[in-house]
Amino acid sequence: MIEISHIDVYYGDLQALWDVSLVIRDGEIATLIGSNGAGKSTLMRTISGLLKIRAGAIAFDSIRLDGLPAHRIVELGISMIPEGRRIFPQMSVLENLEMGASVRTARKVRRNTISGIYDLFPILKERARQTAGTLSGGEQQMLAIGRALMSQPKMLLIDEMSLGLSPILVQELCRVIQRINNLKKLTVFLVEQDVPLALSIAHRGYVIENGRIVDQGDAKMLLGNARIKEAYLGIGQQGKIN
Amino acid sequence: MEIVLQTIANGILVGALYGLVALGLGLLMGVMKFLNIAHGTFIILGGYLSFWLFNLWGIDPFLSIPLVIMAMFLIGLVFYRLTLSPLLKLPNIGMRIDTSMLVTFGLIWVLDNVMTMLWTPDTRTIMTSYTGETFKFSGMRFSITGLGGLGVAVFVAIALYFILSRTYFGKHIRAATQDAEAASLCGINVHRIYLLSSGIAIALAGVAGVIVISTYSISASGGISWLLIAFVVMILAGEGNINAIIPAGVIFGLLEAGSVLVVGVPYRQAIALLVFVVVLMFRPQGLFAKRE
Repeated sequence: MIEISHIDVYYGDLQALWDVSLVIRDGEIATLIGSNGAGKSTLMRTISGLLKIRAGAIAFDSIRLDGLPAHRIVELGISMIPEGRRIFPQMSVLENLEMGASVRTARKVRRNTISGIYDLFPILKERARQTAGTLSGGEQQMLAIGRALMSQPKMLLIDEMSLGLSPILVQELCRVIQRINNLKKLTVFLVEQDVPLALSIAHRGYVIENGRIVDQGDAKMLLGNARIKEAYLGIGQQGKIN
Repeated sequence: MEIVLQTIANGILVGALYGLVALGLGLLMGVMKFLNIAHGTFIILGGYLSFWLFNLWGIDPFLSIPLVIMAMFLIGLVFYRLTLSPLLKLPNIGMRIDTSMLVTFGLIWVLDNVMTMLWTPDTRTIMTSYTGETFKFSGMRFSITGLGGLGVAVFVAIALYFILSRTYFGKHIRAATQDAEAASLCGINVHRIYLLSSGIAIALAGVAGVIVISTYSISASGGISWLLIAFVVMILAGEGNINAIIPAGVIFGLLEAGSVLVVGVPYRQAIALLVFVVVLMFRPQGLFAKRE
């Protein structure tokens, strides 16, 4: 379980998150929705250790995460799929997966983990020797997911998975995420601009606006919430599309 | 015909050394975007260490290489901690390159003076029993120390290639080179990779220094001319393209040797640098860079 309590995050002198608190429970899919620049990616980057907090605390299974460098947080079992996929373009698909298993414990069992990932995404097996930079956008996203799973995380953070991908492919990736959540009891926290998509696969959701959490609750309840419909789904009060 | 073959032989021998001289510079620039202006000065320092080992304990320069590697590796770790690691806090890569140039430029004066105090301003070389000896092969003559240097350059390049492409540590270096942030999200301790890469880069400068002092001679302030060669070879290879550095060095050596044949010794470096400028005009990404 991850517990974020009252954190403030700054970019230089500019405050990006204000007194943010949230909880992600073991085994659930939680989502954080909000518009561009609301602070979604900032929160993700803060949990994974790329940004430091100025106030508050982040705890994972009651271990304090704030202040730890990013690679230590991976060791503790939190793996992030960054926005824009960020695969290593000049390394092969197989090498990218190997890099995901850089944590000592994961490195020992990497062959098993790799074959599990090839089962999830058979195309990666076909392209194992290919340079990752030559993959299509969808294949790169699969590789990014696979690489993040290589560290055998307890929790997966996903930052804007759907960006630049076709709707059909996004559906397929979502099914994979739901499957690993179900089978391996992997906790998932995802940030999405595509609000209907995020709320359709998540159990619970948080809404962030201007760096503050403004609403939270059951995903289905949030989907039915008039304010959210209005702001993110483009559906007005009378059910008309604006 | 014979003189052409001999020119090619000379070009290859001197070119292998040029490649060796550039390896450490290319590694620091490729991995961390630090431009180490003091690279040539570290080469001289490596040469002096070998000189000491030879003069005080009679250790052959080629056999002194492992000891020089160890000493220079440690110096590289200290160098990273004191001068390079603070620069990682700078907000962007451009500032990192600029500031590392300034800092290491300052370091040259410090190292120059320390070396002058330790080894006097005199020019030093190592004279072994085989210095100046040559080996004849189908009309061509190869100097023994030159062949030794070629062997060392090829060995070091292959070892580096093997480490970078086959070992987990080497793959971590490549991952950190391509995307440091993504590497840290994979659980790679990027600062540790930077620290060890700096050690390796300075150790490579040390190896080059041993070959330089056993083939030529060195003086405390002679680092700048080796920096120039290392810089040209690194650019010819294409920035970040470490495996192409030894071939690029050989090409540069052949150019220089060829120009001796055509226009004579005095214009040797001028011609080679002219060709370098022409290459940069038409292939600014380097001779061996892959198309993006």
